[in-house]
Parts: sequence; C-alpha cells; structure tokens
Amino acid sequence: MNTQLYQTIVIEKSHRTLRRELPEIAQEYSVAGLTPIERMTRRFEWLCKEQEPMFLGDEKICFLRTTKNIPDVFTKEEWEEIRSKHYIHESGYPSNLTVDYGKILKNGLLALKDESDTYGCRSIDAILGLVERYRQAALAESRTVLAEGHAALADGRSALAHVLEQVPAYGARSFREALQCVRIINFALWLEGDYHNTLGRVDQYLYPFLKQDMEAGILTKEDALELVEEFFLSLNRDSDLYPGVQQGDNGQSLMLGGKTKDGSCGFNLLSELCLKASQELKLIDPKINIRVDKDTPDEIYTMCSELTKVGLGFPQYSNDDVVLPGLIEMGYAPEDAVEYTVAACWEFIIPGVGRDVANIAALSVPKVIDTCLHRDLPGCQCLEDFYKAVADEIRTGLDAICDNIKDLWFVPAPFLNLLMDTPKYQNFGIHNVGLSTAADSLTAIMEHVFDTKDVTAERLIAGVDSDFAKDPELLHMLRFETPKLGTNSDKADENLVWLLDTIADALEGKKNCLGGCYRAGTGSAMYYLWSAEEIGASPDGRRKGEPFAANYSISLFTRTDGPFSVLRSMTKPSLSRTINGGPLTLEFHDTIFKTPEAVAQVGQYVKQFVLMGGHQLQLNAVNADTLKQAQAHPEHYPQLIVRIWGWSAYFVELDRAYQDHVIARQEYSL
Amino acid sequence: MTGMIFDVKELGVHDGPGLRTTVFLKGCPLRCMWCHNPEGLTMSKQLSVRENACTHCGACRKPCTHADCRPFGRCLHICPQGLIKVVGEEVTARELADRLLRNKMFWGEKGGVTFSGGEPLLQAEFVHEVLDLLGDVHCAIETSGYADPDTFLSLVKRMSLVYMDLKLADDGLHRKYTGVSNAPILKNLEQLLASGIPCVIRTPLIPGITDTPSNLAAIKELAGGLVQELLPNNAMAGAKYELLGLKFPLSSASSPDTK
Ligand code: SF4
Ligand code: SF4
Repeated sequence: MNTQLYQTIVIEKSHRTLRRELPEIAQEYSVAGLTPIERMTRRFEWLCKEQEPMFLGDEKICFLRTTKNIPDVFTKEEWEEIRSKHYIHESGYPSNLTVDYGKILKNGLLALKDESDTYGCRSIDAILGLVERYRQAALAESRTVLAEGHAALADGRSALAHVLEQVPAYGARSFREALQCVRIINFALWLEGDYHNTLGRVDQYLYPFLKQDMEAGILTKEDALELVEEFFLSLNRDSDLYPGVQQGDNGQSLMLGGKTKDGSCGFNLLSELCLKASQELKLIDPKINIRVDKDTPDEIYTMCSELTKVGLGFPQYSNDDVVLPGLIEMGYAPEDAVEYTVAACWEFIIPGVGRDVANIAALSVPKVIDTCLHRDLPGCQCLEDFYKAVADEIRTGLDAICDNIKDLWFVPAPFLNLLMDTPKYQNFGIHNVGLSTAADSLTAIMEHVFDTKDVTAERLIAGVDSDFAKDPELLHMLRFETPKLGTNSDKADENLVWLLDTIADALEGKKNCLGGCYRAGTGSAMYYLWSAEEIGASPDGRRKGEPFAANYSISLFTRTDGPFSVLRSMTKPSLSRTINGGPLTLEFHDTIFKTPEAVAQVGQYVKQFVLMGGHQLQLNAVNADTLKQAQAHPEHYPQLIVRIWGWSAYFVELDRAYQDHVIARQEYSL
Repeated sequence: MTGMIFDVKELGVHDGPGLRTTVFLKGCPLRCMWCHNPEGLTMSKQLSVRENACTHCGACRKPCTHADCRPFGRCLHICPQGLIKVVGEEVTARELADRLLRNKMFWGEKGGVTFSGGEPLLQAEFVHEVLDLLGDVHCAIETSGYADPDTFLSLVKRMSLVYMDLKLADDGLHRKYTGVSNAPILKNLEQLLASGIPCVIRTPLIPGITDTPSNLAAIKELAGGLVQELLPNNAMAGAKYELLGLKFPLSSASSPDTK
C-alpha cells in the first residue's frame, strides 16, 4: 500500500484544504435566458477551468477536486416552475447510472466527437483541456523536483504526464492508463453534477489491460495490487463532497465476478485484487459487490468472507441464478441482462444501455397493513376477506404511486450522454419498505384474530392505537410469542411469499410514462426510518417510533432461531419477480471470524444462501459494544466503518438515528 | 423419551467442521469455577431476568393466571421489554430431531450436529435416541468426559468427532476447581485414545489455574499426541450468572467454557 498517500487522503485529509468555494451562477444563466443544455455545458466548461491541477505525494493516478460546491444551473424560482410541470426525481440531475467505461477505454473520448452534438463536443474539449493542464503541471513539477534532487519523484511526474498524453483522449494501452482513464471519467461525471456514479463491472472491462501487461512482463501481481489500491484511494479523495442522505451514501459501487456473455465465470485475477485492495485499505469507497451463482467455487466465498471480516459490510452478493432470469423475464435481452451491475446501493442496472430510474418511489407496506387493520379488519368475516383487503390496498397504493409519475424530466447531461448508448431500458424501480414488519403483522392478525381467536379485532386495534399502553400482555404476546420471519414458522414465511407475489402482481404489465415497466424491489433505502414514523405501533408488536428493518431483513426485535432459519424464511419467495434489488442483511458478531475455519464456514453459509435461491445478501461483521463505545467516545473511533442500507459509512459521522439502528440490529454470535 | 435442553444454536462455527447446529443439553456433574454456561449446570428450568435493563415497572410481580408462571413467582408473559425468560426446555427426542433436521440442507457433507452442554453424557440415553432419528449425519460431541466408562464409550463411538476437555491433570486441583475427581475422565480418555475415534483435547486457559506450565505439560503428556486446542480466557464469562441470579465463583478471574 502507498502509505504516504493513504495518510494524506484518509487520515490527515489535508487535500481538502485546497478546495475553493464557487459563486452561484443560476441568476446569471437565467438572465441570459440560456437553455438547460447550454447551462449544463457552460457550467461544465467553467468547472473544468476552475480546477487547479494538484498532485498528492508520489501518486500514480491523479485528479483531485479543488472546488467545493457545484452551483445549481437553475434558480429556486425556475426549479419551482420545472417541478410544477414535470415529475422530478430527487434533485433532478441524472443519477444511479453506469456508463460504458469499456467503450471509452477502447477508443478514447476524441473518437466520440464524430457522433456527438456540439454540447457533447464542448464537454469533451473542456475535460481534455483540464487533462492537458494536468499534463503540463506534471511536466513542470517533474523539472522542479529534479532540480531539487528528487529523481524518483521527477520520474513519477513525467510518467504521469506520459499517461495523460494518451488518456482519456485516446484509448488506453496499459492497465495504468486504463485506471487513470476511469478515474478521470468518473471525476468528470461528478463534476458535471451527475451523482451516484457507479463504476460497473471493473474486473471485466479492465482485466484485458491487466492481462496484457502481465503477459508482457510490465506488471507483477504486486504492482497491479498497488495500482488497484491507488485507484481505490483516488475514489476517496472527493467523496466527502458527493451528495447523499448521509456521508458515505454516494453510490460509488463496483461489481465483481458473475457470468460473462459466453456463460463462463467472470471472476479473474483483477476480481481477486479488488477484494484484496478493499481488505487492506478498509475504506468506504468503492463499495464492493460480487455476483455469484450455484457454480461459484468455495475459494471465492472464502476470499469474500475474509473481506467481510474486516467489517466494511463488503462484499454484497448478488445471485446470478435468480437475478438473470428475473431481468430477462422483465424484458431485458439476455445479452444485456448478463452485463448487470448495481446502481449505487443494490438496484440492478445494465451499463451503457440501461436508463432505468431504479429508485423512483417507495411503498410503505406496513402502512398498507395499518390502513386495512383500521378500515377493513373489523368487518372481515374470515382471513380471506382480510387478505383481499390488503391486496386491494397494495394495488391502490402502487397505482397511486405510478399514476403520480408523469412527464418525468431530468436535467440534460451532455457529458454523461456521450458515454451512454441509446437507452434500451427505461424502467422504474419501486422499493417496498418494511416487508418484515408487514409480513409479521399479517401473521399476528392471522394467528390471533382468525386462527386461535384469542384477540379480537377491537382489542388489537385499541392496542396498536394506544401503543399498547394499557395492554402490556397483548404487547408481549405479539412481540415475543407470535411467529415471525426467522422463527421457523411456515405461517409467517407464507405471508412474506404472499406479500411479494401480491406486489409483483400489482405491478405486472403496467407501463410507465417512458414506455418502460415497473420493477418491484425489496429495498428500503432511507425509508426504513422515514416510513416508520408515518405510522404508530404495528400488529407485530413493534412500538410507536421504532424503525423498520433495513431492506429485506427480519424485524429488529425478532427472537430468531438463528441464521439458518432466517435464510429459510427469506429465500422462500420467488425473488426473481421482485428483482429491483434490496438485500437480506445479516449482522455477524465480529468474534465469529476468529479462525480461518470459521471464515470459510461463513463462506459456506453464503453459498447456501445462493443455492436456496436468495437474490441479494449483505453480511456485516459488527460488535455492538464497540459501536456503543464509539457513540460515547467518537474521538477514539474516527475510522470505524458500518454498513447502513446500500452503502457504508464512518460510524461517527452518522446521525444518531442511523447509529442507533445499526446497534439495534440482530447480531449473531458464536 | 424427553430430554432437557437450553439452546439450539444455528451456525455454531467453532463446534466442528462445516455448517453445524449445536444442541446444548442442560445439566452437568461438574462445577468448574470458571464455567460460563451457568444455565447448563442444573437439570431444572430456571428463570432468567435481564435485570440491568429492568425499569422496575412491577408488571411481572403482579399476580397472574398463567399456569407456567406459577413455579417462578413472576409473570413470564408481560414484560414489555421481554426481559424475562425461562431457561430450559423439555423436548422429546422426536421433537428435537425434527427441529434439527429442518436445517439439514445447510449441513452438507462436512457439517452436521454438535451436542454440547452442560454435559451431554448426563442425558446419554436421550442423545442416543436423537442420534437414531437423525440418521446419517455428521455428529460431534463436546464433553467433559465425566461419566461411567460404558456410557461414555457407547455414546462417543457413535460420533464422527469428539471434543473432550482436559482441564487439570492433578486430581487434587481438579477436585478443588471442578468439584469432582478427574479419575473417571482419565479413564475415559484412555478408552478414547484406544478407540481411534477422531478427537480433539481442549483445555480452557484459566489464569493461574489451568494455564500453569506444569499443568499444560502434564495435559500434553496425557493427550498422548492427540490434537489439542487451548482456549483463551473469555472476559465475558461472568455475565450470564447475573441473569440467573447467581454469583460467579471466579468473579475476579473470568474464563471460558470450552463448549
Ligand atoms: S416487567 Fe420487565 S421491566 Fe417490568 S419489572 Fe418486570 S422485568 Fe422489570
Ligand atoms: S465448564 Fe463445562 S464441565 Fe465445567 S461446569 Fe461448566 S458445563 Fe460443566
């Protein structure tokens, strides 16, 4: 590892002091009456000019943001007008996409000029202008440091200049050039104002360069690891500037392994080096994902578990055996589906051709149950009546969400557009939040109101409405003595199956305003806290104010029978129908990973998840005691990392609610 | 027949090869001063209360009508935080076997079931019956080796792997710290050595008690070349005693259970 560079970027963070604040521009653009695309192009040109070429230590991969903010291109009033006319997703700027890095690596940016409009060409010129300034600065520095007697550093700078002469203007010729090229393109996307810029299948599009260099004897495995680590470090330089709900929620994910177009296993030496680099660096970026399937060899699972042990919440697993058929069923061409990666957190997208809006909206499933509990349950003669009411309400809720999304509009992004192909997929992903709370609530109603009849609908409603204040016995029964997901109860599991099927049915065949379909998902994003505040207590014994579980996980207070039972419950639904993404998350106490045998056993457990038909899994090594210590003494734990929903973060930088949620999650120990 | 268990743990990663389910049987003839499974000592059901989180709301002290609460003098079905539970569950061999077999798909070829405790040999007959019902599954046992020779041999013979404790080589010290003589244990160790059953000899490292050079040397000698594991001291050992309203005998030098 380049320890000096690590020290600068991660510990001292001295490079952050180089940043300048930029003035607002929207008013000026507005007065000049510029079109949206002109504004974006002009801003990009300006931002490129405002960057000051800077080098950190003896880095081999350069580019650093030296400006802080990215001033908006529209004024507040203009945004109001835009929002009144269009459906605007989040901030309105494009996000959660993966560009076709492979294409640029092959031909370079200049080759794109032929096929692009003037805005695209201007964007290319702008970024290449900055690259040229970097190149000259590298040469100049090379001369100065040589005069000062630092021959090695001087060589390093002129090597950098040499790389910049080639990429990204022309195609990359070596592994190092390829990494530098990706760094610059990624940097430029952030600078354009696009966000949650994911990296895609790095081990596929970068591997040919590595292979070629190693075969030519230019690189050893150690050199290659060093370069990968530098590349990873480069992704952590500006990441504190990237927008997100919390620090760390920036979508810089990458995908490793997985099937290739010819059906073989894509895991290669570079995949291994990426796992290793993440393990050594222990940084929150990039977020490591890996695709596995029933044929994945045991060694890969063991390697991955070694990384899990480090405690970053990486890697996150996606199961090709479930995801691929799911995507194909939804209309993705097999040759596109096989290229899938994740957008930011866990939503499956296709690099280049996929323009899906994978996180467009969310349904709070516990809210559906809450509505039906109050409105329908007292009048239900039998359980079927209640199921019907819930199914209707799910449909109504999803219809309302979908109907609301009309005239979707994004701020044009000429640079991003250059790197994307003609959109083939414009599907919308809907999160379904609080699935375990909803399934457990259904089970409670089924069990007590209809099966054993030991609780009347009135008592249940009164209990929920009063947060069980006057009925502690009911609370205890619902919370601790009623079957739930993860407790080996077929009843509970069947309710999850039913809910997911019902949701998938409700979205099936619906067309969105861009002609695409709707994809049902099992993710929650930040809604696990937000949506939980919208309702009071719930029939599963969850009390008012308690959050839902994140994503596709069992309830926080469930007394599960253990990790086997959890897998059995959560792999029962046919998850290829709800394939927008959203992982089952499990927290393992860090002492589980004590011995190499135990690490391999954790790997076997993941393998079992895959064989049982799970879609996505995220394992965390945690220690609640350490986290509590860190809450009390944040100053001692600046580097402590935890996984939140689709991203990892420095624990001490999180808001209290997110910290508490991590501490409250179910932890499996020895 | 029925047996008394106090836990069934899924994914017991340190209890043998592969993915395993570990059954903890309740009751032990020893009283190791460092024991950190105090709920495994007696054969009877015990009340466990997480007093440190108790808000003293008094709900559990009010009289109730549940039959299962009567022996404990506190209501088990009311604590809003779920702090009260009963440790110890009487199950039939069939029930236990079914519960275990539900997760058979996880075991694969290497993994399986581990019987731990407490001391599983104390309920040898029950374990035999469970083994009959499990069929062809890799089974392991974690035992103190304290049982009569026939009971010991007939049960361990059916195991694919045996973890046996050797805590103290000196009989006097063994009596002092565990309450019983180590003679039956050494006898069973001999049988185990002779049997050729795959086994691992485990010694918990209790500072100043079992970790002395002379004890470790003597144990090495006794183990006669068998695989040995030394288990580091566990600082959290005392925590469970409080739950059961017991005092940790070794409150200053805390320690591990090897199970
Ligand atoms: S009900 Fe729970 S919180 Fe209340 S006194 Fe009993 S143990 Fe304590
Ligand atoms: S440590 Fe094991 S053998 Fe000793 S008393 Fe505890 S359960 Fe029994």
